Amino acid sequence: MTTMADPALAADLTQYRTQCRKWLAEARIPEVPLSLTERFRVLREWQHTLYEAGWIGIAWSREAGGQGLTHLHQLVFSEELARARAPQPIGLIGLDVVGPSIDRFGTLRQRTELLPRLLSGEDIWCQGFSEPEAGSDLSSLRTRAEIDGDDFVVSGQKVWTSWAHLASWCAMLVRTNLDAPKSRGISYLLVDMSSPGIVTRPLTQMTGDQEFCEVFLDRVRVPRENLVGELDGGWAIARHTLGTERAAYTLRRRVEYEVALQDAIDELSACPTRDADPRRGYRVRAAVGRSHVALRVLEAQTRKTIGRLAADTGPVPEDSVDKLLLNDIEQQVYGSIADLLGPLRATPAARPLGLDVARWAHDHLYSRAASIYGGSSQIQRNIIAERILGLPRD
Amino acid sequence: MTDTLAEVEETVDAYLKRSYDAQRRHALTRCQGWDRTFLEEIADLGWFALAVPDEADGLGLPLSAVGAAMMSLGRHLVPGPLPERLLLPALLLRHLDGGGSDRSDLPGAVVALVDPAAHGSWSVDGGHVRGEPAGPAGSMLPVRFAREADLLLVVAESAEGTAVHLLSSRGPGVDVEPVESADPTARLARVTFAEPAGAGTAPVLTGSAAERFVTELRAWAQILAACELAGIAVGLVAETTAFVQVREQFGRPIGAFQAVKHTLADMYALASSLRNLCDVTLEDATSSSADELLMLAAVAKAYAADAAVRVCESAIQMHGGTGFTTETDLHLYYKRALALRAWYGDHEELTHRIGDNLLTGPQLAEPRSTS
Ligand SMILES: Cc1cc2nc3c(=O)[nH]c(=O)nc-3n(C[C@H](O)[C@H](O)[C@H](O)COP(=O)(O)OP(=O)(O)OC[C@H]3O[C@@H](n4cnc5c(N)ncnc54)[C@H](O)[C@@H]3O)c2cc1C
Repeated sequence: MTTMADPALAADLTQYRTQCRKWLAEARIPEVPLSLTERFRVLREWQHTLYEAGWIGIAWSREAGGQGLTHLHQLVFSEELARARAPQPIGLIGLDVVGPSIDRFGTLRQRTELLPRLLSGEDIWCQGFSEPEAGSDLSSLRTRAEIDGDDFVVSGQKVWTSWAHLASWCAMLVRTNLDAPKSRGISYLLVDMSSPGIVTRPLTQMTGDQEFCEVFLDRVRVPRENLVGELDGGWAIARHTLGTERAAYTLRRRVEYEVALQDAIDELSACPTRDADPRRGYRVRAAVGRSHVALRVLEAQTRKTIGRLAADTGPVPEDSVDKLLLNDIEQQVYGSIADLLGPLRATPAARPLGLDVARWAHDHLYSRAASIYGGSSQIQRNIIAERILGLPRD
Repeated sequence: MTDTLAEVEETVDAYLKRSYDAQRRHALTRCQGWDRTFLEEIADLGWFALAVPDEADGLGLPLSAVGAAMMSLGRHLVPGPLPERLLLPALLLRHLDGGGSDRSDLPGAVVALVDPAAHGSWSVDGGHVRGEPAGPAGSMLPVRFAREADLLLVVAESAEGTAVHLLSSRGPGVDVEPVESADPTARLARVTFAEPAGAGTAPVLTGSAAERFVTELRAWAQILAACELAGIAVGLVAETTAFVQVREQFGRPIGAFQAVKHTLADMYALASSLRNLCDVTLEDATSSSADELLMLAAVAKAYAADAAVRVCESAIQMHGGTGFTTETDLHLYYKRALALRAWYGDHEELTHRIGDNLLTGPQLAEPRSTS
């Protein structure tokens, strides 16, 4: 997979991969139900099963309930999980996005009390960053938190908060200082979603799923001990959160795309009428070839990412190149496959060319979000131009 | 990229930075890459011996080293029969009987490549070379540096199989007719084999040995083209980044405008991902089977054919009117990239072949051009 400078680590990873495979081969891998609430329940149980077996929080510290191994071990497991066609655990926002920042910047109490429950799936977390008026320009967020005795009192609104309606905790960015420049008046709070004054309203995505929500906060009391890092010092933590999200996410998604393309190839190879019309046969080959090339490009790119993870460089501007390529390639791969559905993409029950219309049409629609969340492609281009190429700032 | 490959790339780059400027590039493009003194200068640096086996007094590095050199040569746009000199003797010596011990002429020779498969599905228009019992027959257009070469490496396919010939370019039955070239880095010619070409000389490789050689030859031709294109793309990103910081309009460097910044960011993503793909391809090529090598090479070339040309076109656009002139070297880079684009298959042709391979099993070898 990678050219590893350290042979002892390489051998260790190979052995680890064997263990993953063996466990996954024997595990009872759940079917993923279509209904969201059922899906949530099943995948949460799955997370618990994985946790008990030591496959969750692989690169997390032991105090936090993790395994204390490296990011490369985590990557090996993610690869094997995808190859086994096993679903991801439900608590990915906690595991990949907010958890690592709490592990890094949180107090001992926050880490030891909250993180083991995050890992086991007992607590599901959401990320309350975006607001109606603060999307790409995140540091202009307005949700207010005022200190009142031992508590913060939080009022405002969050939006696009994935899994907020099912989550028990939220890592939230709030404004604690109106006088400081935008990014210096923000704090990072851990908010119990069962607190009085919180209302969530699910929004329906174009895929039909209700994965994200609006979150309304009306004088919600949050204990001061739930502050992560310094008061007004939340922006640096938010940047860490966004950076962690990128590297781990890129690596995991790449394998998922590869598995998806292989599934499409399996469906297409088995289709006896694939070449019945040469014009269509030509398009099938072109779509598969194009997708394969794109995924090889992504694989080459992620070998560098793995190098950075191994060296623990933390977030760097080069991550933006990964994110931009990842978005493009996800859309290219799913777009190419979905185009092969032809006019039958409008009929989810059909199987043109042997392809599962419901799945590919869903995944293609979902791919349109890739260039929006986690910093849009335009924002990544700004970062590349300014921080890598050194072009003037706006 | 391994340390050795990085070292080769840096050595070539450092020399070119020091001793090769725009003036030399212009002098070399004026003679379309044919300058014996320059070739001797490069030979003296030892670059042509990089991948030549130890036994033939070469440096004995893997063929990947040639790819690393091509990245730097592409970045500086160096005209001449360089891919031929870097690759062909090294590859031949690996395949000839007895390590080619009786071919001490090879490492110093300019070998031109006559392989109709270089034209992919255009070989109907450009080449009808076929194997006949007496030797190769037919003709091919264009062949790089055929007039100037000492030897022609001819791939002749027939229903009986593949034969590889090594003929003197001035020998009997070989007719070389120079043609106008739109590639600023290469002289081109039509090669016609009037029977009996190379009378009396046997093919240097036949049967399965020839097949193995030709498979590797085509894969490496694709990989080297991809590396050269990667060099071109990386070079133009650097050049264009510098340009947009000094060119001012509306009272600001044009690099401050977001449309320009985003174009540059996309160029960077294309060039650096192509570069990474080439690095990984060179790394993997050394340890891969013949089938894997075909796939690696086709993928690299498919992406390069598209990505590098897109980078060139954005570079031209970002330069405005100047970009359309011959006042800068952009047009040279662009024309070279266009010449390389379809050499051994462009992205359309190759993605199609790759798709076929994935759907129906290994069939990546060029379709036989028996006509
Ligand atoms: C599926 C999904 C899940 C999400 N989950 C979460 C979550 O769990 N928690 C959370 O906090 N957020 C979440 N988000 C929100 C996401 O991070 C934001 O949507 C994103 O940051 C963009 O903000 P916006 O939607 O307000 O768009 P805007 O910022 O309004 O952008 C609109 C358009 O303008 C462009 N644009 C904006 N600024 C610039 C600029 N400076 N230069 C050039 N172009 C610009 C953007 O690229 C975009 O094309 C999720 C989003 C999606 C789609």
